[in-house]
Amino acid sequence: MADRAPGSRNGWGEVTASLIAVTVALMFAFPIYWAFSQSLRNPIDTYTVAGLGVPWINFTPTLNNWIDQLGTPETVRALYNSTIVSVSAALLALALGTPAAYAIARFRFERWKNRDITVWFLSQRILPPVATVIPFYLTMRYLGLLDTKFALVLINATFVLPYVVVILRQTFLDLPVEIEEAALIDGAGHFGAFWRVALPLAAPSMAAAGLIIFALTWNEFLFAVAIGSSDAIMVPVHIAGAIDTRGVQFWFMGVRAMTAIIPPLIIALIAQRYIVRGLTLGAVRG
Amino acid sequence: MRWTGKIRFLFLAPAVIWVLAFTVFPLGYSLYLAFYKIEQKVEVKREKQPMLDAAGQPVLDDAGQPRTKNVVIKEQVNTATFIGLDNFKRMLTDTQVHEAVRVTLTFVLIAVPLELALGFLLAVLFNQHIFGRPILRAIMILPIFATPLAVGYTFFTIFYEVGGPLAWTGIPFLSNPTWALMSVIIVDVWQWTPFCFLVFLAALQGVPDELYEAARVDGANAWDMLKEVMLPLLIPTIVIVLLLRMAEALKLFDIPFALTGGGPGVATQPFSMLAFRTGLRFFDLGYASAMSYAFLAVIMIVITLFFRRLRANYG
Repeated sequence: MADRAPGSRNGWGEVTASLIAVTVALMFAFPIYWAFSQSLRNPIDTYTVAGLGVPWINFTPTLNNWIDQLGTPETVRALYNSTIVSVSAALLALALGTPAAYAIARFRFERWKNRDITVWFLSQRILPPVATVIPFYLTMRYLGLLDTKFALVLINATFVLPYVVVILRQTFLDLPVEIEEAALIDGAGHFGAFWRVALPLAAPSMAAAGLIIFALTWNEFLFAVAIGSSDAIMVPVHIAGAIDTRGVQFWFMGVRAMTAIIPPLIIALIAQRYIVRGLTLGAVRG
Repeated sequence: MRWTGKIRFLFLAPAVIWVLAFTVFPLGYSLYLAFYKIEQKVEVKREKQPMLDAAGQPVLDDAGQPRTKNVVIKEQVNTATFIGLDNFKRMLTDTQVHEAVRVTLTFVLIAVPLELALGFLLAVLFNQHIFGRPILRAIMILPIFATPLAVGYTFFTIFYEVGGPLAWTGIPFLSNPTWALMSVIIVDVWQWTPFCFLVFLAALQGVPDELYEAARVDGANAWDMLKEVMLPLLIPTIVIVLLLRMAEALKLFDIPFALTGGGPGVATQPFSMLAFRTGLRFFDLGYASAMSYAFLAVIMIVITLFFRRLRANYG
């Protein structure tokens, strides 16, 4: 990251800017910290902790909530389901979307132009999911697939497909076409050129796209709550269950929120370089 | 240089068929539903049935006639009646719909500009020489990927009015209808300002050094630099982020679901939540489908603007 600041290079300007930046970053980190702090408290400390709720200073931390929650079959099931569904949806979307992205990047389409096809895929992402949730629910009920992971894989793969198409389309465009042409001359055929030449080169990008769409499926809630209630319960739906007739159990809420947030956060840090391009659907190159 | 072999359709077909099956088909189905009144009723019938003994033989009474028992049969019956445009007309007079529209629009019109403005300011700030920029930038990314539902519940504990960390302010974050909507906005701003920030920062770092140098030579101060150099160069990016955020913000669902449950009353119930509840909690499926179509029509306007802007990027 090159230093190309327009501002002054003098010491005080730099110190002030840095101090503001640190304060801002801490403010944005606070809610996540707070959920973590909640998860370490005994129920009795929930409403009485002073200040910023710092463990050991403001209260005596305990791991009991974590032990209790991670030992609950439903928590384990939710984590298991979310993992299976997110991995399957990501793999399925990559399998469907990568060849499509390759087609758009390398071939010329006449009647529907390449950009029309790209935009058509993109429009799936902008559609309000609430418009499809009712017919999807009815279809799954008709097929007897309510409360199954299978139904959740189907719908989530659909939602994340545009990301795969758009991210990988750009990846293939950035690859030099000459290597594939050489393979074609050697008689590899288009499929051979795709499979043996382009795909291995696109692998890092596929991995990044896979991570981002894993996180999107992991975080998805609307369809998860419509389709999966018990057998196919997903992590966000499970969090919603921390409210019961006795009110909100803040201490369990903290644990559940953290178990939900940690995996996508790790992914965000790993896939940092690809986030801007990924989340703007390729409209901005980061 | 682009190839034209027929095999291109083979590469493209699986994804296209998939999207047709799981997006276009449901949308068609829901358009059909929008013209019907769909009722799910449980019909209760009583029937006299012959009593059977363990061997499956009818049990006879003293007079030698088969004895009967009363059986209650509950049957779920779905009826669909064609009612034309009635579902759409009903929306015009439904106060719940009006309220949901008001909530959604207020939310979009306050949250989105706020996210863009804050994101822009932060991007300018982070574009300076600051200590530990990579680490601070990494922290700023976290909200974008935090599970929205978990975020909603976490803020529920932060805004908790008795003993929460902000209780000392005395602000009725969740119990006052106006404040509840503001709270939803605050959470969304927390989650999505970093996204705007990140994109703007990427765009700012793409501005060539020479432009800053040239402006500096011309004697521009920091404010001129912002107004005359950075802002104009960022306009295309700003428009894209604006449209993306608007399209996403219109879909608002998870945060109020967790933070306020749409309350107090219906003060924070956005359109998505109303349509979801009408369809999948009260099973008024026809009406809910009509709602989602009306919603779709509004979003289409944003999408059209978005893609008119974006189409050039995918040439």
